[in-house]
Amino acid sequence: MRRSVLIAGLAAIAVISAGGIVGGRKSLAAGAQTKTASTAEVKIDNFSFGPTAITVAAGTTVTWINRDDIPHTVVSNDKVFKSKVLDTDEKFSYTFSKPGEYPYFCSIHPKMTGKVVVQ
Amino acid sequence: MNPFDIKTALLAKHAQHIVLIHFPIALFIAGVAFDFLAQSAKRRALAGVAYYNLLGAAIFTLPVVATGLLAWQFQLEGQKLKGILLLHLVLGVTSAVLIWIAWALHVRARKHLESRLPIFRLGLETVAVAIIGLTGHLGGFLSGVNGPN
Repeated sequence: MRRSVLIAGLAAIAVISAGGIVGGRKSLAAGAQTKTASTAEVKIDNFSFGPTAITVAAGTTVTWINRDDIPHTVVSNDKVFKSKVLDTDEKFSYTFSKPGEYPYFCSIHPKMTGKVVVQ
Repeated sequence: MNPFDIKTALLAKHAQHIVLIHFPIALFIAGVAFDFLAQSAKRRALAGVAYYNLLGAAIFTLPVVATGLLAWQFQLEGQKLKGILLLHLVLGVTSAVLIWIAWALHVRARKHLESRLPIFRLGLETVAVAIIGLTGHLGGFLSGVNGPN
C-alpha cells in the first residue's frame, strides 16, 4: 500500500514537472514571437495623431491608419520615413530598427505632430 | 509671432496659397454682384466697378495658382493626386480659367464701344461662382480650418 502511494506520488511529481517544462517552453516561445513580430498602431483622426507620442522597442513596426475624412501624410522631421498621401482608411507602416526619438508631422497640416520613441 | 517681423511672417509654417486665395474669391464675387447690378440698373459706372473687380480677381489667380502648384511640389513632392486633392486641383484650375474668360468678355466690350456685353456672361459668372464656392469648400477641408486648433 505504502509502496503504491509512493509510486503514485512520484508519478504525479513527474507529470507536474513535465507539464511545467513544456509550459515554460511554450511561454518562452510565445515571448520570442511577440518580440520579433511586435507592432503598434497610430490612428489619425480629427486632425491629430493618436497617441501623440508612442514608445516602442527597436524592431517594432508602427502602422499609421487614416480614420479621418480628409487626406493626411506621415513625414518624419529628419526625413527618415515619409508616407504618400493617405486617404481615408489607408495605412502606412515603418519598422524602427534604431533607438532614438522620431518626431513626425503631416505635411499637408504641419500643425499635426507626433513622436515615436524607440528604446 | 511678432506681426512686424517680416522674416517670420514670410516664412511662417503655413502655405501662402491659403492666405492669397481669399483675394480672387472676394474680388470675383464682388465683380459678379456689381455686374448683375449694372445689368439690372443699366448703369455704366457699376459696369466699370465690375470690370475692375474682375481684373483684380484675374490678376490674383496667377499667384494663387502658382502657390497652389508649389505647395503640391514642396509639401507632397509632386506625387500623383487623388480624391479631394485632385478634385480641388481640377476645380481650382477650372475656376481660374472661368475668371479669365469672364474678365476677357468685359475687356472686349470695353475695347469695342459699340459691342455690348453678351447676356450669357451672367450665366457663366454664376457657374463660376458656384465652382469657386465648391473649390473653396474642399480647400477649407484640406487646410484643416474645420479641425481642432
